[in-house]
Amino acid sequence: MKVEYVNPFVSSGHKILETVLQEAPDRGPLAMLPSTFTSEQLNVAVGVTGDVQGSVIYGMSLVTADKVASTMIGQPIKTFDQLAASAIAELCNMISGNALTLLSEAGFVCDITPPTLIRGSNCKISTLSIPTIVVPFKLTQGDFKITVGLKSRK
Amino acid sequence: MAKQIMITDDALFMRVMLKTILVGGGYSVSWEANNGQEAVSLYRQHKPDLVLMDITMPLMDGITAVKQIKSEFPDCKIVMCTAMGQKTMVVEAIRAGAKDFIVKPFQPERVLDSVHKVIGAP
Repeated sequence: MKVEYVNPFVSSGHKILETVLQEAPDRGPLAMLPSTFTSEQLNVAVGVTGDVQGSVIYGMSLVTADKVASTMIGQPIKTFDQLAASAIAELCNMISGNALTLLSEAGFVCDITPPTLIRGSNCKISTLSIPTIVVPFKLTQGDFKITVGLKSRK
Repeated sequence: MAKQIMITDDALFMRVMLKTILVGGGYSVSWEANNGQEAVSLYRQHKPDLVLMDITMPLMDGITAVKQIKSEFPDCKIVMCTAMGQKTMVVEAIRAGAKDFIVKPFQPERVLDSVHKVIGAP
């Protein structure tokens, strides 16, 4: 996969996580993953269509999701309810949307689908023929991974 | 009576955040829509003073909803509020009839400034 498809998610991830959580995240080294990989406890899938297509999957533990949602909502959450799920989905939507703005500046015009939440840590996720690159972020709230599986439409 | 605003966003979190900001600014949030289709039908029934509209939503996206509302109510006031900040999207939304374009994540002041600019004080 081309690095020019991944970089927008690295920059956007950094910027949005910092803006929303009010703290700069640390980023680990990028790593290639096979097109089939194991899910985290909580995953948010966002589809990308247009000049570049595929999917971007955001993964974290349930504990991290609870803490991130609490920070976003501004008070501790008791259970991972609809509001908390929506906060996590919206965070991933904002990272994707801002990454797409950067992709469009690089000449690739795309659109995204509404996010889908997947719970369960032993799922096998496959992007079929598209290899993926994982962008790992370390937050005070825990690990937050962005797995990018995109290819040119042609 | 405070000016009546309708929020359209598929994310409950965003609707709650926007409502808190707008109510804090003295406006009244009377209706909330989950998608473009709901926004069009609620607009026909209530004709709010302003609509805040997301773009990426299931069933009907925000740009299609703006076009539809604008064709029936040319005086409608709609402000886009979305994570999709690319130039083509902004141009398309403004052409469709949106008055302003707010990119998420936003600061509360940005939302209130925009609403104030379009419909004035609460």
